[in-house]
Amino acid sequence: MTDHVASGGIAATDSERAEAGRHRAAAERGDAPLLPSERLWGFWEFTYSNSALAIATWAFLIGGSVGLFVGPKEGIAAIVIGNIVGVVLTALATTCMSGRYGVEQFIALRSQFGYNGSRVVYLLAVVLLTMGWLAVLAMMFGRSIDGLMALSAGEAASPTGGKMIVAAVGAILLTWFIVAKGPTSIKFFNMVVSPALVVLMVVMLYLILSQRSFDELLALPALDPPFEDNTLNFIIAVEVNLAAGFSWWPYIGNLARLTKNERTAFWPNILGIFGAAALGEIVGLLAAVALGDSDPTIWMTRIAGPIIGVVALLFVAFANMTSMANILYTSIVGLRQVGTEPVRRIPWGMILFLFCLIPLGLVVFYPEMYDGFFIFLVWTSALNSALAGIGIVDYFFLRGQKLDMHSLHRPQENGPYRFWAGFNPVGLAALAVGFVVYVTIFNPQTLASLPAFKYLTASIPACLVAGAVHYVLTRLVARRRGWGLYP
Amino acid sequence: MENDIAWQNELVRRARIYEDIEAGRRFEGTMTALDYAAMAALTFVLVVAFWIWGA
Repeated sequence: MTDHVASGGIAATDSERAEAGRHRAAAERGDAPLLPSERLWGFWEFTYSNSALAIATWAFLIGGSVGLFVGPKEGIAAIVIGNIVGVVLTALATTCMSGRYGVEQFIALRSQFGYNGSRVVYLLAVVLLTMGWLAVLAMMFGRSIDGLMALSAGEAASPTGGKMIVAAVGAILLTWFIVAKGPTSIKFFNMVVSPALVVLMVVMLYLILSQRSFDELLALPALDPPFEDNTLNFIIAVEVNLAAGFSWWPYIGNLARLTKNERTAFWPNILGIFGAAALGEIVGLLAAVALGDSDPTIWMTRIAGPIIGVVALLFVAFANMTSMANILYTSIVGLRQVGTEPVRRIPWGMILFLFCLIPLGLVVFYPEMYDGFFIFLVWTSALNSALAGIGIVDYFFLRGQKLDMHSLHRPQENGPYRFWAGFNPVGLAALAVGFVVYVTIFNPQTLASLPAFKYLTASIPACLVAGAVHYVLTRLVARRRGWGLYP
Repeated sequence: MENDIAWQNELVRRARIYEDIEAGRRFEGTMTALDYAAMAALTFVLVVAFWIWGA
């Protein structure tokens, strides 16, 4: 009898443990808020993770693009100014609430846009951004391989030729294969690639400075300034960097939820994201201007000679694959989180492949995208800057930093974040107004701008106006209608 | 997962833990006025200093 009771008790304990394990795993995936005791990252762990995310090959690309508009001195100033403002506003909008409540970013977004509205935002801000970056990084991989083959054969590279396209398509398919296998391999690559990229940056910086003094570098002109007005060129460079800062909006909230508290969720972004990204961009800028080409796959072969050039290009190709795997994995995990039931039922490998179709199309039919990739980056800021403004106003000024965890995670159809058919018209209207303000002040496609752009940039007004519209309309409309649990 | 009773109970449990923390003002490591002031000052100093140096 005693044995029977004991074994029954052990079985019950085992099943409870198994259930607790399942619940914790579900909370880690974002289905429930992580409790303070379940969150493991302190200040330095989060700083390292942030740095690993920020130190990627795209930093070289962004730095090179800045060199098109302004020389190194103005470029370094633009990198610091744009990134600090963009990162601080983005971190305020996303990491404080994730750090306080351990809540998944797009579940928290239900309080700002409604449960269907948050899906729309995910589609606009994450899916499009990730697809674009996948295509750009695949093309960078392709150009690295093309440059490698040309270097080995002693020929000139053909950056938009057939070899580049084949290699880029191969990169996307290989990334699909790696991510389909699961996250373990990605974690391993991260541990190797991020420190190695820091070493690569230091070596590149050493090689640049061994050829020219720092003062000589600072005096070099821009590669291809689009306007005669230097102030306008400088503000465009600032805008590119604001866009780079705001482009962390889809990612850092969900990293911050793993930190122990609000402060450890916020401050490491300044050291990790801002510091690491600025360092990588400055290396990219100096190299691009010193060697006369904004494309890292070209200047690396010029700076380092054939042997180191081959090693550097191979490494860049490898690093790109890691970045691609990271963003693809993160986006699909999120897509399944916000997706409807039919989306959740699509097998993992199939949904990954479907996601890769558009980047594949971009690589094959629009390889020119790589050279104007900053245009794509700046377009994303029209959305991300407005999202940051709405997020700050909603969480800090309208809700007084309080979120209702139960309402955010319960079945949503009859919950308080239903707003209007699952959409918060106020939040979505504010987002649309912010977007329109941005493209009215500055058109990323043509670089045409209003005179105010030289004094205000476009991201800052879009952020402020979207926040103001959200505040006023929430007070006038949402609260009166009892939408969204506003106090 | 949404219709699983055990899971719904788990969600309620987790939400209640946060409600208790909130009610008792026991959130650890919250951002204070000093944090926000330091963040604003750092941003301001970097923007102004690099604007004067580089622009």
